[in-house]
Amino acid sequence: MFERDDDTLTDVTARVAASLKAAVRLDAALDARVMAQVSALPAHRPGGWLGRAWSWLRRPRTFALSPLAGLAAAASVAAIVFLAARLGAPPVGAPAGGDRTPVQFLLVAPRAASVMLVGDFNDWTASATPLRTAAGGGLWTVTVPLAPGRYRYAFVVDGKRWQPDPSAPPAPDDEFGSPSSVVTVGGTL
Amino acid sequence: MTALRTAALAAGLTGLLAAQAAGQDPRLERLDPDTRIAVAGLVDSARASGLPAEALIDRALEGAAKQAPASRIISAVTTLLSNLRDVRAALGASATAPELEAGASAIHLGVRPAALTRLRVLRARQPLTIALSVMADLTARGVPADSAAAAVLALAGSLRDDQFLAFRRSVERDIELGAPPAAAASSSVRLGAGSLPMSNGGTSTSMPPRRP
Repeated sequence: MFERDDDTLTDVTARVAASLKAAVRLDAALDARVMAQVSALPAHRPGGWLGRAWSWLRRPRTFALSPLAGLAAAASVAAIVFLAARLGAPPVGAPAGGDRTPVQFLLVAPRAASVMLVGDFNDWTASATPLRTAAGGGLWTVTVPLAPGRYRYAFVVDGKRWQPDPSAPPAPDDEFGSPSSVVTVGGTL
Repeated sequence: MTALRTAALAAGLTGLLAAQAAGQDPRLERLDPDTRIAVAGLVDSARASGLPAEALIDRALEGAAKQAPASRIISAVTTLLSNLRDVRAALGASATAPELEAGASAIHLGVRPAALTRLRVLRARQPLTIALSVMADLTARGVPADSAAAAVLALAGSLRDDQFLAFRRSVERDIELGAPPAAAASSSVRLGAGSLPMSNGGTSTSMPPRRP
């Protein structure tokens, strides 16, 4: 056994108390380290792959993205939207749908090298509907299936000369300087 | 986080612009920018009113194909939209797109909206497109608008669509033979439906035979 010295005991007690009262300096990265450790611990998850997937989907994340990368992502979204709209548009030359009636268009043009049919049914695209001539006789023809409706059209001879169909009613309003014709296709209108 | 917010904002704005651009008909890209903006506005207005926007696009494309000045294209599309509104007011909300387009041609040539309303009454549960087309075609051939409308109205209760087309051919033939257009129309009306050629079915009408 040892001999007890009251003064020594008092001194030790004071030093222990002083050390306990001293402010503790914590590492600034302590919080991050603790959270990393906590995250690494196995968490309670619903059983099965579906539960794990759901948990993975719900876990919040923080992304770092530069403005340039953001713009690139936005451009990609814009491109997808634009392409989807384009692909959804009706193709050039396709009538509106419904039952279609074959309609023959004729033009006598003995000296023409080419004749094109342009009109509402092909979005006025000059190259979409060429007429053909048999054995160079000057009779140009093409047959186009058209849905019921009223269509304006004209011929383009040799790529530059606009000509209405002489055998069809004229379009009522010649606002663009070169007259067009009208064809009305019957059916359920 | 600031960069992230900036990127998100840019993405939102770009997406909005892309959606707006995607809503515009890609065929309008053939028009010059100023014309395209004006026509797109008219097309949107037509769509909002339930009118056939396709007719407006077709008219703008026709103008572009014929290399018409922008002012003419915009004027033509504006006039067509106005005519379509008048036709719908005359025919009612149930009018189909082909009926509206055919009626717009007739009104553009001077046929009065009241004649269209009368035609609707006379052919209550039948399509009007062919009758309206004939009305417009006769007027375009030189028959005065009131005479053309009167002729079609006189026959509206008795003719089928194919007979209306035969009536139009009859008038055109008389005009080509030298008859004054108004006289040609009235004489064909007097001849009546009984003398006009009949088709077999009468439910579907195709192009008349073309003369070379």
